[in-house]
Amino acid sequence: MEKVKVFVKDGCYKCPSAKEVGTLLEKEGLNVLYYDLDTADGLAEASYYGVLSTPTMIVEDTDENTLADFRGTVPTLQTIKEVLLKRESPPLL
Amino acid sequence: MVSTGKHKESSASRSYLADETTDMALFVRTSDEDMSFWNRQRIVDALVREADVDPATAEEISKEVQNQIIASKIALITAPLVRELVNAQLIARGLEKARKMHTRLGVPLYDVDQFILHPNKENANVPHGPEATNLTLAENIKKEYALLTVFSQAIGDAHMRGDIHLHDLGFIDRPYCSGQSLEYIKKFGLNLPNALSIAKPAKHPEVLLAHMVKFSAALQSNFAGAIGWDAVNIFFAPYLVDLSDRAIKQLAQMLIFEFSQQAVARGGQAIFSDINLYWEVPKHFEDVPAIGPGGTFTGKKYQDYTREAQKFVWALFEVYKEGDGTGRPFFFPKPLVHITEKFFQTEGHEAFLHLICDVAADKGNTYFVFDRGSTAKISECCRLSFKLDDQDLLDAKEPWRMRYSALQNVTLNLPRLGYTSRGDDTLLFDKIADLMDLTIKAHREKKAFIEKLMSQGERSPLSLLTMNKDGAPYLRMHRGTYLIGMLGLNELVHIHTGEELHESNRAFKFGLKVISHMDLLTKKLSKEHGMRFVLEQTPAESTAYRFARLDLKYHSPEAERYVKGNLDRGEAYYTNSTYFAVSSQMNPIDRVVKEGLFHPRIEAGSLTHIWLGESKPSKASLANFVIKTFRESLNDQIAFSPEFTNCLGCGKTTRGLNDACSHCGSREVEGITRITGYFTKVSSWNKGKRGELNDRYKNQGFFENR
Repeated sequence: MEKVKVFVKDGCYKCPSAKEVGTLLEKEGLNVLYYDLDTADGLAEASYYGVLSTPTMIVEDTDENTLADFRGTVPTLQTIKEVLLKRESPPLL
Repeated sequence: MVSTGKHKESSASRSYLADETTDMALFVRTSDEDMSFWNRQRIVDALVREADVDPATAEEISKEVQNQIIASKIALITAPLVRELVNAQLIARGLEKARKMHTRLGVPLYDVDQFILHPNKENANVPHGPEATNLTLAENIKKEYALLTVFSQAIGDAHMRGDIHLHDLGFIDRPYCSGQSLEYIKKFGLNLPNALSIAKPAKHPEVLLAHMVKFSAALQSNFAGAIGWDAVNIFFAPYLVDLSDRAIKQLAQMLIFEFSQQAVARGGQAIFSDINLYWEVPKHFEDVPAIGPGGTFTGKKYQDYTREAQKFVWALFEVYKEGDGTGRPFFFPKPLVHITEKFFQTEGHEAFLHLICDVAADKGNTYFVFDRGSTAKISECCRLSFKLDDQDLLDAKEPWRMRYSALQNVTLNLPRLGYTSRGDDTLLFDKIADLMDLTIKAHREKKAFIEKLMSQGERSPLSLLTMNKDGAPYLRMHRGTYLIGMLGLNELVHIHTGEELHESNRAFKFGLKVISHMDLLTKKLSKEHGMRFVLEQTPAESTAYRFARLDLKYHSPEAERYVKGNLDRGEAYYTNSTYFAVSSQMNPIDRVVKEGLFHPRIEAGSLTHIWLGESKPSKASLANFVIKTFRESLNDQIAFSPEFTNCLGCGKTTRGLNDACSHCGSREVEGITRITGYFTKVSSWNKGKRGELNDRYKNQGFFENR
């Protein structure tokens, strides 16, 4: 199943919006994971993806390949859905 | 036959002695190079003065010792012997604190003999000779002093056990390392405390160079570690106007030879020197008013001297390419080239990149420091760097103010935490936090000691550092950093998860978690204590060996499974800091990218090594590699390390580490390659580093050869 990883941090003014988008994605049945950069687990995951600013959202497929990343900005729900849609339909031969 | 000194004896002791003695002379060899008559009062005085013992007890003790000595009928008495007999009395009376204060520091006769006759391998940068022996002996005493009086018992014990390593204990009365700007000596000239003469600001570049070298030597006497210089080619530039290319080349030669040959300073060592270099004038110096000959403002900005700065840095690298008189690479000064966005927008950067890559492939000198985005950094030690914050950027307008220092470095033994946590995550992370608390305590104690020394102002032993020419002491304590290093992350992860960092994503992520935990703790503790604690990748030249040996001692048989190196030959070591195992056969780009993921957590700066062995990549392939690293990774800094064999017979230098010279066949050869952050002869390396050298994966076949 695809995953959306949301990286947030205290004091980051755009993070609440990122969390909102995350909540909306969850409502659509997606697997959304939140990582707080003030915790060791959150910071470790952020390090793994080279996350340098928050909020950052990373969309991955089932094989943990990155489909899209939004660093320091908050994408709309629509944008993320489009990314996932492109993934689901195989390219026409 | 014993007779004793006539004065200051109590009548009681005299009558005792009068019963025992006839006409034997009892002499004591004192530390004043004197043969004094025995005088019991000296014991009393020492106890009262040095150890706060009350006079009555001191009297009692002195009499006991006197009786002992007479009863033993000993012929040769030395002051150290008397002192230890007194110490035994203090222990017998339960006066532990007094005993500690009354302790004599020093080195056994046997050890001194060994030092004088055999080389000290703790620091590959120290040649063998009388100066070096002086350094070793003094360091030994200062080390003991540090552990007895500067650091509290808990800290001293933790160091001795090998839970932590307090770096450069023998330099307890100095800060660790420093970074500064030529602007200081350009503006103020050379006016050192206790100097026999004062020099006004230089008018000519050769004089500026002379000042730079002298000042570096003076700094080396006041710091334990590296002496770093920022933006050297830029600050020299105003002195190079109208100089011919030949004259500039000559100056470049002088600079490099001066710093690489100075095996005549402290301890017979060369100065561990770093010069930071730029192809472009970095943003923060573009509009700064330039200081030129005579230490006066020229009326121009540094931006206006771009051409001269470029000529100079080009010439420096031409000299590095040529090598020394026998074609060997220069060991010092280390050139750190800063790659920034502006670099790629500056004319001529392709040719310059090819030149410095040519040097990297041919001789290995170049360090590539990556200042991405808006990060401005000045780098000091092999990997120590300081990101410039708002206050620093203000200082950049008056660059002589840009003086940075790390006061102390303390490294954590990570593998040991693995042995004692038994796979329990919570326990491991708690132990890390406890060890960090201990480390902070050590830093506070060092800070207090240096502050005590600095508080004496002009009369301070650190008078160079208290010197105040611009409204602040040379050593800016309030801007000092305190380094927290880590050793053996790879082995900790191996012990805790069953896999080494490179063996799975799971292991790698766990390693990131450990360092993230340390990063968060460091920031929290910095806030709490109002001190700047910063994570660093300790070079750990001897610590990697020391921790491995201590763990084999205290944590066998388990440790034998995880410590690296050929244990039968005693070549035990742990993998440095956050590195992948040196033997792991990773594609170097992967190594650079993945090791680079740790770098944002390690604020004081990091480095990835690319070992080349005997291969000689084309400069184009290295240039591509450098650009890729800049654009596609977060890696802070890389260095390529070729290997050389220098023949003592015919003098020729060949590539690779060989047992015999490929020109003349002589077996009188010396291997040269990078140990941690600097080049030196392999014969001077400690066993742990030699073990690591054997294991290094040399990236064969990856780079296209010339």
